[in-house]
Amino acid sequence: MRISVKKLATAVSASVALMAAGQASAEIQIGIAGPMTGPVAQYGDMQFSGARMAIKRINENGGVMGEKLVGVEYDDVCDPKQAVTVANSLVNDGVRFVVGHLCSSSTQPASDIYEDEGVLMITPASTNPDITDRGYELVFRTIGLDSMQGPVAGNFIASQNPERVAIIHDKQQYGEGIATAVRDTLKEKGVDIAMFEGITAGAKDFSSLISKLKQADVDYVYYGGYHPELGLILRQAKQAGLDAQFMGPEGVGNKDINTIAGDAAEGLLVTLPPSFDQKSENQDLVKAFEDAGEDPTGPFVLTSYTAVQLIADGIEKADSTDPFDVAEALRSGSFDTPIGTVQYDKKGDLKSFDFVVYRWHSDGTKTPVK
Amino acid sequence: MQDLLYFFQQLVNGLTIGSTYALIAIGYTMVYGIIGMINFAHGEIYMIGAYTALITITGLATLGVTWLPLVLIVALICAMIVSSAMGWAVERVAYRPVRGRHRLIPLISAIGMSIFLQNYVHLAQGSRNIGFPALIHGGFTFGSSDTFQAQISYMQITIFITTLICMTALSVFISRSRTGRACRAVSQDLGMANLLGIDTNRIISATFVIGAALAAVAGLLLGMYYGSIDPLFGFIAGLKAFTAAVLGGIGSIPGAMLGGLILGVGESMTSGYLSGEYKDVVSFGLLILILLFKPTGLLGKPEVEKI
Repeated sequence: MRISVKKLATAVSASVALMAAGQASAEIQIGIAGPMTGPVAQYGDMQFSGARMAIKRINENGGVMGEKLVGVEYDDVCDPKQAVTVANSLVNDGVRFVVGHLCSSSTQPASDIYEDEGVLMITPASTNPDITDRGYELVFRTIGLDSMQGPVAGNFIASQNPERVAIIHDKQQYGEGIATAVRDTLKEKGVDIAMFEGITAGAKDFSSLISKLKQADVDYVYYGGYHPELGLILRQAKQAGLDAQFMGPEGVGNKDINTIAGDAAEGLLVTLPPSFDQKSENQDLVKAFEDAGEDPTGPFVLTSYTAVQLIADGIEKADSTDPFDVAEALRSGSFDTPIGTVQYDKKGDLKSFDFVVYRWHSDGTKTPVK
Repeated sequence: MQDLLYFFQQLVNGLTIGSTYALIAIGYTMVYGIIGMINFAHGEIYMIGAYTALITITGLATLGVTWLPLVLIVALICAMIVSSAMGWAVERVAYRPVRGRHRLIPLISAIGMSIFLQNYVHLAQGSRNIGFPALIHGGFTFGSSDTFQAQISYMQITIFITTLICMTALSVFISRSRTGRACRAVSQDLGMANLLGIDTNRIISATFVIGAALAAVAGLLLGMYYGSIDPLFGFIAGLKAFTAAVLGGIGSIPGAMLGGLILGVGESMTSGYLSGEYKDVVSFGLLILILLFKPTGLLGKPEVEKI
């Protein structure tokens, strides 16, 4: 088969022109990339509901520079491979601003693509320090870092004067990163670390691990990872009669841990971002969520809301929809958002972000510990 | 003393998990023994068994039925029926039309079936982890030192006993019953058995049904033992059981039992004495070693070219 070069060239230039026309329409697309399905989809729900609400409210107030925001949603299943596919299709769709991804292990590979292709990314949930450590220009977050969360947990454990501490993690970027930060803090404080060990994410049988924890006679267990595994560990530990205080990062602090662990979740300690929905200046926003039948209390709802708002504010401030100009505007400015006043350092990290220790209860509620 | 107790504790943990691997492995090994194909959708059948059991238990609870033995038996029967029907249907839909073709074709068909079933449950039941009620609580201490108590939970005992009953029943069935004898004949020579008047299609279906029913038993037991299920948990369990089947000698039923136990104990000792990180490394490393040095497995007969 032969196709004349001329015809091909015409076809290509026509399709390029079409794509360009698509971008020039009076809309600003905001990609929202996170897990809609998969084992951590409940965090995705928080992300999508926060971002959707922000888009809706910004549009109701006249949009950005007279243009409407349009949310385009992508499902990465919190799987690094899927995240790369999502990032590529997002670039192909001509989206230039992304709220996402959620899991650090997805955000990391996706951010390589965004940086190369000139897409501005704000993750509302990924806390691994490596993500902003590579000198990327277009990568930001609206959440703290493991290196902030780890010391909070480590200092708290040390203040309880435990005799022997075990640290378990799921060998993933997020879990191991945070577990390492906790270990380093505990070492500095001179706490005896009896075990530092990985498990396989998705594993179900922890009987051997629990026997080992009993044998090591630990009184504190820190788990770096997500709730599906910790839920099972808690439950199987209770059945096996292991008497230790468990603690985990914000990745375990959601109501699904209660359906897995049941009563065994009572008393679990969790470091979480402060409850932004409790802040008095956010009550209007909280009401808007409740009127829409959404739950604003999840840890990533308002961080996602903030991510969208920052993109909008950045565009306004830069007076441009070029991601590089917007990134520059974000770095130089100071923004009032539902998570407080946001200022960025050179790397794209928040200049300040607090984590608070909560005690989790078997009915899915939490109370601050101090 | 404490070290010894710890060893026994890990042995109990390993035997528990190993006996459920063995239950699932039977399905792989029987199907391979008879038609020489690997049924990669078997792990999904096990997962569907667990979901059915959970749905039944929840349903009974809403009806107000709480008498434990009744709940367990009804859940077990429902899970076995649904899984068996599923095993039968899978064979009819995905394997029978391609039986007798090149070996790769049924294999690919099986993988397709596995992906289909996984996603079907994703859609029907959602992709989140669902908590499985712990119906059997407690346990007894079989030895204790100052700081360590070795325990067997009643759940673990239930798993041992159920597995033992299933295995004995299966062995009796295969060695004594008419269908069992036909199964053995078909596994020795499918064409010849057909000539001698055995309805081989029926026997092959029966093999799938038996394997699926045992997988359903494992699904219920492990659901209760672990405490949560999700649509993907059949996949890794399937891989482990497949490893167990190969380890013991694929095609051999006692081999599957032995392979399951060795694998379970191996995993539990690895996480007990080395680190949980190496658990899967050891089990799949074992698979590679066996394939390299004794491809027929521990109890397998030297392969006479089938098909």
